[in-house]
Amino acid sequence: MKMFLQKMPDALKRVLAVFVLVAAAAVLVRVVLPASLTDSRLHIKSTVEREMAHPVRYAGSEACADCHEEYKVKQGGYHKNLSCETCHGAAKEHSENPSELKPKLPRMREFCAGCHTYNPSRPSGFPQVNPAAHNPLKVCVECHNPHDPKPTRTPQECSACHAEIARTKELSPHAQLECTNCHTVPQEHKLAPRSVRAGIPSERSFCGKCHSKDSGRKEAPKVDFLTHGEKYLCWQCHYPHMPEVQ
Amino acid sequence: MNSPLTEKLFDLLKQVTGYIYPNEIEVHWGILVVVYPYLTGLVAGAFILASLVKVFNVKEVQPAYRLAMLTALSFLLIAPLPLLLHLGHPVRSYEIFLNPNFTSAMAMFGFVYAWYLMVVLILEIWFTYRKDLIVWSQGETGLMRWVHRAVALYSTDISDKAVEFDKKMVKGITIIGIPSAFLLHGYVGFIFGSIKANPWWSSVLMPIVFLFSAIVSGIALVLFLYMVITPLRKEKIDIKCVDKMASFLFYAVIVDFSLEFLDFIHRLYESEESINILSDLVMNKLFISLGVLQVLLGMLLPLGMMVAIRLFKFEEELRKLLYFVSAILIQIGIFATRWNVVIGGQMFSKSFRGLTAYKMDIGGMEGFLMTLVLLSLPFIVLSILIKVLPPWEKPAKGTTEGGTMERSVIG
Repeated sequence: MKMFLQKMPDALKRVLAVFVLVAAAAVLVRVVLPASLTDSRLHIKSTVEREMAHPVRYAGSEACADCHEEYKVKQGGYHKNLSCETCHGAAKEHSENPSELKPKLPRMREFCAGCHTYNPSRPSGFPQVNPAAHNPLKVCVECHNPHDPKPTRTPQECSACHAEIARTKELSPHAQLECTNCHTVPQEHKLAPRSVRAGIPSERSFCGKCHSKDSGRKEAPKVDFLTHGEKYLCWQCHYPHMPEVQ
Repeated sequence: MNSPLTEKLFDLLKQVTGYIYPNEIEVHWGILVVVYPYLTGLVAGAFILASLVKVFNVKEVQPAYRLAMLTALSFLLIAPLPLLLHLGHPVRSYEIFLNPNFTSAMAMFGFVYAWYLMVVLILEIWFTYRKDLIVWSQGETGLMRWVHRAVALYSTDISDKAVEFDKKMVKGITIIGIPSAFLLHGYVGFIFGSIKANPWWSSVLMPIVFLFSAIVSGIALVLFLYMVITPLRKEKIDIKCVDKMASFLFYAVIVDFSLEFLDFIHRLYESEESINILSDLVMNKLFISLGVLQVLLGMLLPLGMMVAIRLFKFEEELRKLLYFVSAILIQIGIFATRWNVVIGGQMFSKSFRGLTAYKMDIGGMEGFLMTLVLLSLPFIVLSILIKVLPPWEKPAKGTTEGGTMERSVIG
């Protein structure tokens, strides 16, 4: 070893010394740094511990079911997927001391408007209103039971729920067509829209009534149904509420 | 509602053409990500020029050898800055060394960079300068003496045997250094080329196109610096050295041009489903930066000038002028190349039906002024390096020659 070091050129010794120093510094940093910064498992563990140290404020819906009849009503209605505490706020304390600590009862219009104000990004069919025009002087819960919310009367127009589609269609070449022209709408759909669905065309020949070459509708664009689109249904490529081909 | 972001998006919306997805309107990799491959390219190119001297024994380029090495080092020191600024939280960057992720190409950059900086550049520069540092420190007083002694790691051995060992090491490191330089910049092209979802980037040619454009830009930069610094020192430009560098530049430009042309033809011939939107991109959004700046001004014009120099025996002064103009045009062209790759790849929608626009800020972390600062920083670092390690100082009398850029060679 001694011989080897003696034979090694001076310059190389110095460079190696620097590299050893850098490597030692890297190892030192590795050792000096707390394990929680470098070990991902410890990192996760400390995060879990930190989160678990937070006080529990929510009781969970099951806790409400023990005392409140409204829970069953809610489970049968449109709000069944909402937890009680979504509207009534954190109720852990109430569940432990039911007579003295009461949860909140939100009665302001603004509260319901948080979800039900018209917004085009919400899914079609989701009940949406314009709060400024929709009975502005009444609180929502006067007409709608929040545990089993329903429209006070059955909607007559499709646009009551499908406003976004209706507005799109009004500007499209299909503006003159009634919704029922293409959709079969059972009466039950208006009462239970999620369990009874409206029908959609399932045959290419349906669109072909206007758009095939031998159709009598002169104003509609024509395609050869034998060669165009192969096995696909028309609406799989063309959006029927705003067909892009004029 | 009228936050600056909303206003910016509103301005951009007017420039969007066709159909794009909502999250595509904002270009996330901005000008800083353009600067980064530009800087690393200069590093790789400058180093490869320097290695011509040591490995391939191109004696004519010797006067620019040390300048090329210092240029590579100063640009390499600044190269990660745009990324650190773009990502934010620069103090977390050491995490990539402590917790290496071997399956992430981006995370591996830290190691490629560290290898290139520590094992290649700094080591080669140190062995090149070691003897001179010792000699200089012996004839100096004050601060500079201590700086030179410290940089030489307090070594004192300037015997013929030690100097011979230095030379051997320099040659050995350069041989390792060439593939390392290829790795450094080929890696940047690899990052883009391996993004398979983006047809503008995804190409196996990408690393090699990046590499050759890097060589072009690096040689042009050293040529430019040499032609600026030498007259400033009131020395005469060594026309043989400039001619040789320009001839390497000429060949590199030809290879670079052929590769890019091959890429272009290949895309046209393949005519994948993206071809329509890409031709739209090239003809509209990138017309100035690609058609005019990159191809016409940055490649064809300098190429034409260099062909003219070869065909007609121009006199020395005119040759120098043409080289100088070519070097500047090539820098503009290569910067435009990086711009077209980075920004161009984010301008078209994944739906292949629309184009967005990029609006650069003036101030701010990702703005134009920051870009100017980042592009001028390497020159400041270089001027400091030149002060500490003058690439042209003649070694003190009575010592053996150490491969320095000799005064006698220049004048």
